[in-house]
Amino acid sequence: MSKVNDIYILAAKQISVQPPLTDEWMDAPVSYGKPYVRSIDPDYKLYFEPNAARRLGKILKRALVTSRQVTAAIGDAKLDAIVTATGLGCIENTELFLDTLARKGEMEAMLKPTHFMHSTHNTIGSLIAIDVRCHGYNSTYAHKATSFECALTDVFVQLESNRIQTALVGAHDEMTPTHFTMLKRTGYLGHAVNGFSGEVALSMMLATTPKESTLCRLRGVEVEYCPNDEALRQMLNRLLQRAQCSWEEIDNVMVGVSGQQANDQIYAGICPALFPGKKLLRYKHLFGESYTASGLGIYAAAVCLSQQRIPAHLFVDRESGEQRGVKHILLYNQLEGKNHSFILLSACGK
Amino acid sequence: MEELILQLKQEIINVLNLEDVAPGDIADDAPLFGEGLGLDSIDALELIVLMEKLYGIKLKDPAQGREIFKSIRVMATYIHANRTK
Repeated sequence: MSKVNDIYILAAKQISVQPPLTDEWMDAPVSYGKPYVRSIDPDYKLYFEPNAARRLGKILKRALVTSRQVTAAIGDAKLDAIVTATGLGCIENTELFLDTLARKGEMEAMLKPTHFMHSTHNTIGSLIAIDVRCHGYNSTYAHKATSFECALTDVFVQLESNRIQTALVGAHDEMTPTHFTMLKRTGYLGHAVNGFSGEVALSMMLATTPKESTLCRLRGVEVEYCPNDEALRQMLNRLLQRAQCSWEEIDNVMVGVSGQQANDQIYAGICPALFPGKKLLRYKHLFGESYTASGLGIYAAAVCLSQQRIPAHLFVDRESGEQRGVKHILLYNQLEGKNHSFILLSACGK
Repeated sequence: MEELILQLKQEIINVLNLEDVAPGDIADDAPLFGEGLGLDSIDALELIVLMEKLYGIKLKDPAQGREIFKSIRVMATYIHANRTK
């Protein structure tokens, strides 16, 4: 078997409900006592000429700003691929022209062309490519809660097999008032038994060669639909085996508990048996729930590995103090017991 | 005509989302495309929709736009002569 490449996360930047483009949430997390929160946007005038930004919706501005910041991490190296994950794509623009058609009764010919052109899911990846001048592989994954894991799997396989050496991976979703209202009506969000909804703009630079700024290593990704308990265990074992990492080496498991009672109960049923003796970490109490929230999970774990500490507020049991020295973090996400994923990250040199 | 010119400037600023541009910044006779406001082909589409929506003018031949969208004054003159609402 030929040797496979190691994969490194060189940089990651986010715009979310936590202070944008920083890791301030590690020490000063922002809390919200309401079910619907939108991202904290930076001052985009610092990043765009007014004429260049006037057609861009928020999701596109966020994607471009985070992408530009992480692209700098590869220096003069060529960017080989852009892979984007999004559950809803540019939903705000989609709503604008659908609303014009449906509610205001406008004819199709009278729609604003910009809203229509910037409404598709792959607008995000395309605009990033134009902005960072990347003519390489470009793909968008829109598979609800596993969008990010699918995007990451694509990049992981290509980097590991040396088809590409650098890749920009993104997770981008916005939560509009209209979509939130719909989710509230279905009982999915917006009630006391749910967590809060957030928005995601995450860009990560992955490469087969580490740089000084490297956050951590990406060791493996596994995604499966509706595995039973045994299949879930096999999935985890497969991931560890491929990464040549033993269960005893794993320091913590980061899970996607969000405060949404029905989904959290599924975690409560699975985690004790699957992760015995491991302390669980969380991230959605910081960033909220969204289709590509798991992107912010990997970002949070990568920052912990890079800084070699896990702040107390990330622990699910809320009794642990800050943990120093962390080598391996396993991420486990599932939605409604259907879509399950594992991601393994390790500190550099481990 | 002066009132129509002012209204048109305001509508163009709104429709094209020209942040930081005020009606007073747009000269009546300055070119809208290339130099001047620096509009592009997507803006031309937006202006065609604006003409139909606000003034009931349907431009059947896109080539017409090249002449009509020369400047705010040329546009206002065309609207004044052809508007149906």
